[in-house]
Amino acid sequence: MASVLETSVWRRLVLCLVLVGGFSGAGGEVVHRLNSETGLSSWKAQHEGFSLELIQVLPDYVRAVYASRGLPAEVIERVAGYCVFGTIVRNESDAPLAWRLADWRYIAADGHERRLKPKSEWVREWRELGVAFRWTLLADDQVYEVGDWGQGFITLKLPPGEVFDLHYSWSQHDKTYRGIISQARCAPVDVAAP
Amino acid sequence: MWRRPEWRLLAALLSAALLLVPGRAMPQLEPPELSHRLTPLATPEVAGGFVLEDMDGEQHALQDYRGKVVLINFWATWCPPCVREMPSLERLYQELSDEPFVVLAVNQWENADHVFAFMGQIDVFPSFPILFDPDSEVSEAFGVKGLPTSFLLDRSGRVVYRAVGGREFDHPEILQQIRALLDE
Repeated sequence: MASVLETSVWRRLVLCLVLVGGFSGAGGEVVHRLNSETGLSSWKAQHEGFSLELIQVLPDYVRAVYASRGLPAEVIERVAGYCVFGTIVRNESDAPLAWRLADWRYIAADGHERRLKPKSEWVREWRELGVAFRWTLLADDQVYEVGDWGQGFITLKLPPGEVFDLHYSWSQHDKTYRGIISQARCAPVDVAAP
Repeated sequence: MWRRPEWRLLAALLSAALLLVPGRAMPQLEPPELSHRLTPLATPEVAGGFVLEDMDGEQHALQDYRGKVVLINFWATWCPPCVREMPSLERLYQELSDEPFVVLAVNQWENADHVFAFMGQIDVFPSFPILFDPDSEVSEAFGVKGLPTSFLLDRSGRVVYRAVGGREFDHPEILQQIRALLDE
């Protein structure tokens, strides 16, 4: 318990420093945007040669996406029960880079570090339910050549509206770079009831 | 199991409905600028063959396109950058219409009803073949991890370029890469 508190206090201290500086992680700038039309937020972390953007996705939108693929209710509700973000990852550098979702972590209010549920786990679950679908989710890992980029859903086991810090990383030239998007927030159940 | 005819109809209807969902329910998945560079592969290899149906149920074998430069684009209607790059694919196809060049847009998981409903919602109706890879077997064989992903094959059927993520396919840089293959 004490360590959790310490972690939480330490995290808040780091967060304060981040907010004061307006920067997050390894030299990256994080910009938060609120879309006035949709009422949904997005966070874009911009590093030199690498960017990561998280876009809130409402649970009902998740349901609509999977229902329109003809997937069964069990599949739909399992995904909609997660905190889902549309995610865009880009290589904006002049050399290949790689990232691995298994290396990313998120920390919510309880201070525990958790991993994101990877696409391969979802695909395995869906296969057990007789569904061969393997799209819409961000890949487990990718190597991006110059100009490559991609997008897909990422899933965090958090309730709607929950605040968390995302710790992400990528590698280039045998070096690992890290960044943090602090105080990101899961989409609410509905934009009318945040 | 979930690809029965009634699901096809429901999927088409839901897809059309999804496009009409009021703005506030739609996440802003508008992607950043499209890239305009294809990555040359260090060791080009001949692409594995496939036979897929188009929107009219006609079969297309990759082997039939040997002798042409082939751009294979893996896509889906739910994928914003796929939709965004589609007009540039059509412009590219038109630009090179007199050349031995073809675009094969290989749709993932969806079906002809679904795609037809979707095509009615966008500005450009592609004139190049749209093929269906309903079980994603072909994309799996090509090692596709995310959509869109495209591969450019030379006239010998070797995969010589790859692009992960959306591209502006009629950009001069890409046109130059394709013309170089056509001149080989």
